[in-house]
Amino acid sequence: MSGQTLDAGAEPAAHAGPSRLTPWLAALAAYAVPLWFVLAPMALFLGYSFFSVDKGNIVFTPTVANYVRFFTDPIFLPIFWRTCLLCLAVAVLCVLFAFPVAYFLTTLRGRRRYMLLVLLLVPLLMSYVIKIYAVRSILGGNGMLNKALLATGLIDKPSMLFVFNLNAVLLTLTVLLIPFAVLPIFLSLERIPKALRHASADLGASNAQTFWRVTVPLSMPGTLSAMSFVFVLAIGDFLTPQMVGGQSGFTFGRIIYSQFGTAFNWPFGAALSVILAAVVIVAIRLGGSVERQQGGPR
Amino acid sequence: MTRLADRLAPALLIAMTLVVFVLLYGPLMVPIVSSFFTIHQGAVDWSQPTTSAYVALAANESVLNALWTTLVVGIGAVVCSVVLGTGIALYYTSPTAKGRAFLQFIIFLPFLMPPIITGLALLIFFRQVDFERSLVTIIIGHTVFVLALVYRTILTRLQSLSSSLVEASYDLGASRWQTFRLVLLPNLSSAMVGAAVLAFALSFDETMITLLVTGTQSTLPIRLWAMMRLGFTPDINALVALVLLFTTLLCLVAVRFLMPKSAVAGSDED
Repeated sequence: MSGQTLDAGAEPAAHAGPSRLTPWLAALAAYAVPLWFVLAPMALFLGYSFFSVDKGNIVFTPTVANYVRFFTDPIFLPIFWRTCLLCLAVAVLCVLFAFPVAYFLTTLRGRRRYMLLVLLLVPLLMSYVIKIYAVRSILGGNGMLNKALLATGLIDKPSMLFVFNLNAVLLTLTVLLIPFAVLPIFLSLERIPKALRHASADLGASNAQTFWRVTVPLSMPGTLSAMSFVFVLAIGDFLTPQMVGGQSGFTFGRIIYSQFGTAFNWPFGAALSVILAAVVIVAIRLGGSVERQQGGPR
Repeated sequence: MTRLADRLAPALLIAMTLVVFVLLYGPLMVPIVSSFFTIHQGAVDWSQPTTSAYVALAANESVLNALWTTLVVGIGAVVCSVVLGTGIALYYTSPTAKGRAFLQFIIFLPFLMPPIITGLALLIFFRQVDFERSLVTIIIGHTVFVLALVYRTILTRLQSLSSSLVEASYDLGASRWQTFRLVLLPNLSSAMVGAAVLAFALSFDETMITLLVTGTQSTLPIRLWAMMRLGFTPDINALVALVLLFTTLLCLVAVRFLMPKSAVAGSDED
């Protein structure tokens, strides 16, 4: 083991005990990249939201004009609320789909449960753009959904209800985000002690009563954190509305993007993003605080 | 009445689960299946299966270039994030660490915030410090994005190691470097490989941040994004099928490395 001897010779300082400088050097090394490439950009970003633009050039004089504009201009606030509502609807839909699946998972044991869980999680890791494309191929004017509806005779010409509008955004986001809702609900369902359900049955409750009055209330922390999770992912998304939203499917994310692209008003775009970040933080807090409050028995 | 409900409930549960699976996997099947057929006037011609789309794809230079860029970015981001993630995890567990909670907060920030915010922040930053947008900026963007995951995975493994291992190593006269190389590294290696594979998979699919910090380069998702605006063509479907296959494989590999052996063995109790 000559390598060992060499190493020992190369680093005598370690044997002698770390010098007083070492902790500081280690701290510097650990902090350097996160500070420079995460915190600095985020701080600069926040700073930008207080600047303004004059003839395409950024004016570095602090002003709250961007925020005032957001709250007073008749364009932005309605789109902001509409996007919030849309994402809330996505969150509710995702929970409606995810809850039965999560509940079904808890009834399984061993290998079956593991397999189903993996199958539910695999789509999470698949390319996001591709999933949007895939859903769009079903929703489109020529898509499967229209073909199926035509074939059943429910409609007589391709419906444009699911193409390039908010409905399409709603459906696509729901399909993409269901797996994110399954996991938190499953974890909170699993945490409910079986004894509580047995006790409920012993006291004469039917299965349905036990489900509605014991299981569902006790799973609320997981269900709410699933909702906040889905909401945050949906409201931060730009790719889905851009790809399936069309003209009428304009969302907050697209406005932000347009400020950096076509409008070329970076400070205003930054201010809108700061508002987005604030909404995200509130949503995460809400989801998290319920979970902490009624974390329940572990 | 309740009897009936009790009997119907499991069936309903299974039906709902099936619906969700159709929703999750059904859409993905469409491009994969239609990649083996040609498209005439916006409709798939089901009469004859063909692999012509795959052949065309292999000759498509812009796609091959994008693939190359994606691989370079992925490898760059993996190397940077594993080195950084390991270093920061080691620092986090060292007794002299300062401001742990703050450090973790910064690392998790890009993972918690919507990617559009991370991407825009980096875009403004690069412009402000006069850093030309290039392959390097994409790698930095991806590293920042996957770092939280890599760091967390390695830290979890590090914390599950008994501290007596390290103490024993010091007692036997090993230097810090020797302890790291001969004791910690072998114990961390599977977590590091798993984290690396997962980071690569994430980087391989990352679109939003790349879209904002890229210069003239386009990665595969960006290329796909651009192609998809034109509509549905067999070669997009073929590319979609290949990317899906590749990411799924990556994830299975990552799961193999990260899943504790006991969990897999324990799942056999059936």
